[in-house]
Amino acid sequence: MKILAPIRAYDELEMLAASGAEELYCGVVPQEWISRYGGAAWLNRRSPKGGSLETYSELRQLVDAAHARTLPVFITLNAPYYSAEQMPLVVDLAHRLSDEIGVDALIVTDLNLLVRLNEEKLAAALHVSSVAATLNSEAVRFLLNFGPRRIVLPRSLTLAEIESIVNDVRGQVEIEVFLLNDGCAFEEGFCATTHHHSVGAFCTSLSEMRAEFEWNGPVFRSRRENWLRRNLADYREWVWYLNGNGCSSTPKGLPYGPCGLCAIPDFQRIGIDSLKIVGREAPALKKLASVKMARDIVDRARAGVPKLHVIERAIALRETPEHCRSGYMCYYKVDGAR
Amino acid sequence: MEWSVHIRSAQDLDGDLTAERFATLESSARLGPVVTALARRIARLTPSARFTRCAFGTEFCENLLPPPAALAAVRAAARNRTLAFTFLTPYAGTAGIGKLRELFPLLHEGDEVVFSDWGVLNVLRREFPRLRPVQGRLLNKSLRDPRVMGLYASAPDPGGALAGNTLAALQRSNLDNESYTRLLARLGVAAVEMDNLPQGMDLSFADRGLAVTVYLPFGFISTSRSCMAAGLHYRKPDKFGPGAPCRHECQTHLLEYTYTNSPFPNRDQKFYLKGNTYFYAHSEPMLDALFEHAAGGRVSRLVFQPRLPMVES
Repeated sequence: MKILAPIRAYDELEMLAASGAEELYCGVVPQEWISRYGGAAWLNRRSPKGGSLETYSELRQLVDAAHARTLPVFITLNAPYYSAEQMPLVVDLAHRLSDEIGVDALIVTDLNLLVRLNEEKLAAALHVSSVAATLNSEAVRFLLNFGPRRIVLPRSLTLAEIESIVNDVRGQVEIEVFLLNDGCAFEEGFCATTHHHSVGAFCTSLSEMRAEFEWNGPVFRSRRENWLRRNLADYREWVWYLNGNGCSSTPKGLPYGPCGLCAIPDFQRIGIDSLKIVGREAPALKKLASVKMARDIVDRARAGVPKLHVIERAIALRETPEHCRSGYMCYYKVDGAR
Repeated sequence: MEWSVHIRSAQDLDGDLTAERFATLESSARLGPVVTALARRIARLTPSARFTRCAFGTEFCENLLPPPAALAAVRAAARNRTLAFTFLTPYAGTAGIGKLRELFPLLHEGDEVVFSDWGVLNVLRREFPRLRPVQGRLLNKSLRDPRVMGLYASAPDPGGALAGNTLAALQRSNLDNESYTRLLARLGVAAVEMDNLPQGMDLSFADRGLAVTVYLPFGFISTSRSCMAAGLHYRKPDKFGPGAPCRHECQTHLLEYTYTNSPFPNRDQKFYLKGNTYFYAHSEPMLDALFEHAAGGRVSRLVFQPRLPMVES
């Protein structure tokens, strides 16, 4: 069970490695793409101006240094699709990343790209992104026809569903799950919206729109409308938590945001291969704090510390038990007694 | 071109099979005018159109999968009205896959099954080869964010230059790639379903022989395994968790959003939430463009949805 950390620059490597990262992932947007596409046509689900390395030379420097520390580096090519015009550019990029720079895996969403890259017999492995919405073991079996080494499960799956999938495909493919930071109000792979800066995320944008209920029955009493309004307010609060508690941090600068730390003992028992920390575009301090928290809890789970003690430690690390008690900051509902 | 209608129950097929009669099935004061206007348009533009197929089910929520008896009744009603049959299936967790395995045997040889999940396709290919898989619109990954995509068509790339390439990419999907349509053919998928995109659609891939179905007058924006409506019956800390039991609370109400915080001129635009899924309604120019595609032969079927496709059977 490895800790997978996001990285955006070579300068972040030393601190992430020293803090306990065991795998790294990042994006790179080549100049050819930037000069050809703007607006919402993103190469890797991040704006070219925010979440990616900017040059091949920096990426090579990062990969070489990471390999010297025995850390593998994965690259996101995880747009929901690429058009026929874009595909040669993406396949060429994959070859360059794999064969020239030596990255260890490419993270892909588009089934067409997965099939194409599998046929290319790259040295780099292929990981299927959570954006592919692999929600059941039949979907994993389908994808296995096209050669992935790893499947990233969406954060919307329950622990029971994750366990069921792992049990069904154990030994056939690595499984990665979400551990820390950004949430998504929707099923990521079935959200057809953009996070373009001109409009922002749809889920948070909705919280600022006028919303009116229409009741299907004959009488829409004010008591009933209040019931719906309260639920809408709770939903908007839940979205606020998903959005990193309104993109805020504790007084000590630790990042808020959705969290699966309490589930780490379950992930160890289930046999999860990798725990993903989200946030390529996040500030270095947030990445550092996230890796430290993850490493603290993973070390305790590896040492066999009882589950309830691990959970208590996780809540203490987050420093705001009131947020943990809200129930809205958790990726997963954990049964402490199991 | 074929016309299909999305129905909720066998009773929907009692009476005339006309768009105007189907439009009366929508009781919402907010959605009714959208549906009625479309029905009138269909009657005016294509007076000879006949509904020869019905679609049943939903792509958006495994908790709305019909009970076996409801599916059997609808299938029998479709046969009685000599309508071809399409069964819509959602993305699904382990439990949903199990429910679908109980429903597929009730379908007839050659019935279409719209899949929104690669796991469902895997089950169909291995266990139910007598059914015809159709790639659903959820697996068409074109962005269709109604807040901004419509603006790309009229004022491409609101962020700056690069207009042409970006708009072209946004009007397409992976179906644009011959390698992908060949893959679908190898998988036994001869047809795909789509939404009518606010930024316009490039359907040139249809010239390679893939049949294209488009839904109207609603398109999906986003869907989730965390349902706002299902939270109504939970304590606050337990709300909105995936996998929480559902009482079909979504059937009791509709939530209409108005884009009051738009930075663009579309501040009156409406979005609709039903259960776990957000929808947009087609604008008049979008309907014009869709009917042009249909007249040009690249759309082989239109599906009239008199309700938002989130109905309990």
